[in-house]
Amino acid sequence: MNKTQTNSTGFSLSSDRVSVIILLIPALIFCTIFIFIPAFWAIVGSFYSYGMTSLNDWKWVGFDNYIKASQDEFFWIALKNNFIIVFASIVLQVGVGTILAAILDRGIKYGKVIFRTIIFTPMVISSVAVSIIWLIIYDPNVGILNSILKAIGLPTPSMGWLGDPDISIWMIMIVAGWQNTGFMMVLILAGLQGVSKEVYDAAEIDGATGVKAFWYITLPMIRNILIVAILITTIGAFKVFEFVYVLTQGGPSNATQVLGTYIYLQAFNLLHMGYANALSVVLLIIALILGWFQLKASRRA
Amino acid sequence: MLTSYYLNKEECKMKQYFSRLWTGLLITFFSFSFISSSYAIDIKLWDLSGRQGQDEFYELLQKEVKKYNPDINVIVTEWENEAYKTQIQLALNGNDGPDVFFNWFGEDSARLARAGLALDLTPYADMEGGYGNFISKGWQDAGAVDGKIYGVANKAVSKYFYYDPAFFDQHNLSVPTTFGELIDTCKSIKAIDPSIVPWPMGNSERWKLNHVITMLNQRVVGAENTKADYALTAPDDELFTNPKYVEAWEKVVELNENCFNDAPNATNPELTRSMFAAQISPMMYCGTWCGGIFASEGFTDFKMFRFPRVEGGADDGTVGFLVAEGLQVSAKTKHPEAAALVASINVSDIMALADAELRGSLISNAALIDQMEDAPHWFTFYVNDIADKSGHVNVLDVLLEANVSNAYLDMGTEVLNGTKSPQEAMDFIRKVALEAKAAM
Repeated sequence: MNKTQTNSTGFSLSSDRVSVIILLIPALIFCTIFIFIPAFWAIVGSFYSYGMTSLNDWKWVGFDNYIKASQDEFFWIALKNNFIIVFASIVLQVGVGTILAAILDRGIKYGKVIFRTIIFTPMVISSVAVSIIWLIIYDPNVGILNSILKAIGLPTPSMGWLGDPDISIWMIMIVAGWQNTGFMMVLILAGLQGVSKEVYDAAEIDGATGVKAFWYITLPMIRNILIVAILITTIGAFKVFEFVYVLTQGGPSNATQVLGTYIYLQAFNLLHMGYANALSVVLLIIALILGWFQLKASRRA
Repeated sequence: MLTSYYLNKEECKMKQYFSRLWTGLLITFFSFSFISSSYAIDIKLWDLSGRQGQDEFYELLQKEVKKYNPDINVIVTEWENEAYKTQIQLALNGNDGPDVFFNWFGEDSARLARAGLALDLTPYADMEGGYGNFISKGWQDAGAVDGKIYGVANKAVSKYFYYDPAFFDQHNLSVPTTFGELIDTCKSIKAIDPSIVPWPMGNSERWKLNHVITMLNQRVVGAENTKADYALTAPDDELFTNPKYVEAWEKVVELNENCFNDAPNATNPELTRSMFAAQISPMMYCGTWCGGIFASEGFTDFKMFRFPRVEGGADDGTVGFLVAEGLQVSAKTKHPEAAALVASINVSDIMALADAELRGSLISNAALIDQMEDAPHWFTFYVNDIADKSGHVNVLDVLLEANVSNAYLDMGTEVLNGTKSPQEAMDFIRKVALEAKAAM
C-alpha cells in the first residue's frame, strides 16, 4: 500500500521511498564523515609529499609515492607478510575452526557448551591484552614456553621467539589463530547445525560415516559458510595491526612488518604522510576487491 | 471535595515553590557558568607517565601557578612513552591538543618549532614569573632553534653503568675504566657462573641499544668527526664513511658475545631493570631515571660508573650522555601567556627543588639544591658527575633526522641478531642518510 506524494514539479515519491531515504540519512552522514571524506583525502594526499608536522606545506609529487612503493623493499616485505598471514590464518582459523565445529557438532555427546565457551573465550578479550599475555609467554628469559621446552630437554631459539626474523611472523600467527579460531568455529558450527540429519542418515546407509561423511557430506553442504569464513579471515588478515604492533612493532628489522604497521611507521615515525597515504590507497584497493568478493559470497550463502 | 480543594491549593503552592526554586537554581547555575567561563583559564599539560612523585609535583605546580594567576587551572594528562611520541604530533595538528607539552630537546623539539607547531617563548622570558628569571642562558639555549626559545628545559637525563658493589667485592672485580676492561669484567662474571648475565640488554623496543651505540660512536669516532654526519651537512662522498663508525658497531658485536643475554631483541627493557634490581645480574647501563626505580624495587646499595673510554678512540671518556627535556607550548594555544607562565613556573626555584626531591630529576635550576633533604646517594652522584664532565652528547634517536634515526635503530637489531655485519649496517645507514640529505 504505497501512498504517492506529488510535488509541484510533478515528481512523485512513494512514502516508502521517503522513509528509506530518511532512515538512510544518519548512516550516510556517519559514513561520509568517517569513511568517504577520509578516504577521499587519503587518495588526494597520496599525490603529495607532506609530513605530520608540515600539514600546511603540501608538495605535488604526482605518482612518485606509488613509484616509491613499487621500489620499496619493506613495502613488499609487508605485503608478502600480509599474504602469509592470509594463508596461514585460513589454515589455522578456518581449518582448525571447521574441525573443532565438526567435533562439537557430531563428535562429542557431553560438554558441548563448556567446550564451545572455552574455545570462544579468547575472542571476547581485547587483541592488545591477548598480545601482552603472549608477549609474556614468549619471553626468552621468564616466558613459560621456554621453561617448558627447557624442562623437557628441547632447544629454544637463540634469538627468542619474537627476535628471530625467520620465525617471528609465525609466532604472531599463532597468537592471531588462538584468538580468532573460536569465532570461526561458532560461525561454521551454525552452518553445520543447518545440515539436515536425514542427509547423514541416508549417507550412512550408503556406507559414508565419520571422516568420509565429513568430507563428502559436511564440507559440500557448508561450502558457502566456508567461503564467507575465508573472506572474513582474509580481510581481517589484511587489516591486521594490533598483534604485530604490540608483539614486535614490525621487527626484528622489519621482518614482521605488515601494511598496517608499515603505514603507521611511515606516517607517524618517519613523518611521510603522503607516502603513507599512497600505501593506504593500495591497502584500500585490496580491501575493496576482497570486500566485493565477500559481498558476492555472502549473497550466495 | 474540600479536601481536594485544599490539596489542589497546596499543590499549587508547592508547584510555585518548586518553580521558583528551579528558576533560582538555573539563574545561579548560569551565573556561575558565566563567571567561570569568563575568568577560568584551563591549561592542558601533557607529560610522560610512570615517574614517581608525579601527582604531588603537579599539585604543587597548580598552587605555584595560582600565586601568579589564580584563574589558571592546570589539567595534566600523562602518556606512556612510546604512545606519546605519536600522539603529541597528532594532537598538535588537531584542534584539541595540549597547551603545554613535554618534549625531548633536539631534533624532536626543533622539528615542531620549524613546522610552526611550537610557540616562540622568547618574548615571555622576562615577564613576571618568566623562565628567564629561573634558568641560566645555557639551559635556555637547550630549547633554542635559530636563536629563538621554543622550549623551557626543566631537566636532563643521563646514563650510567650501575653495578652491584657487593658482588664486585665478593669476586674481586674492579670497576672497568676502558672498553677492554669492560669486556674482561663480563668474561670474569661468566667465568664465575655461566648462567649469570653480566649486562642484561632488553632491546625489544630498539632504543636500548641505540643509547649504547650513541656512546660508542662518541668514544670511538668522537664529537668532532660525527658532527657533520649527524647534521647531514657532510659532502655526499664523505657522509658516514668514517671507518670508525664500523669499529663502533664491532664493539657492539663484542658486547653481544661477552656481556649480553641471549635474545636481546626479544627481551623487554623493564625486565632487564628488574634483573639488576633483583641482583640476578651484577651490572647494567641505565638512565638517571633508573636509580629511583631500583630503589622502589628494594635495591639501593648500587653504585655507578661512566661509560668507559675506548682504547685508541677519539674521546677520553669525559664526555657524557645528556638529553635535555622540558616543556614546549603549542602554537595553537588560546592562552599563550598563561601557557608560557605554566612552562616557566615549572622551572621556578620551588618547583625545581620539588622536581629533584619528588621525581629525582636532574634539574635545570639548582638555586635551592642545597636545601634538598635526604638526597639519595645516586642523585648526588649524578649531579656531581655531570658537573665534572667535559661535554655532552645527545642520543641518536633524538638527534638524528627521522629516517637516519630509524636506520640506526633497525641496524641495532640486525647487528645484535647477526643478520647484518657492522660494515653492512653502516652501508645501509649511509644509503638512508644520502636519501634523507637529498630530500632536505
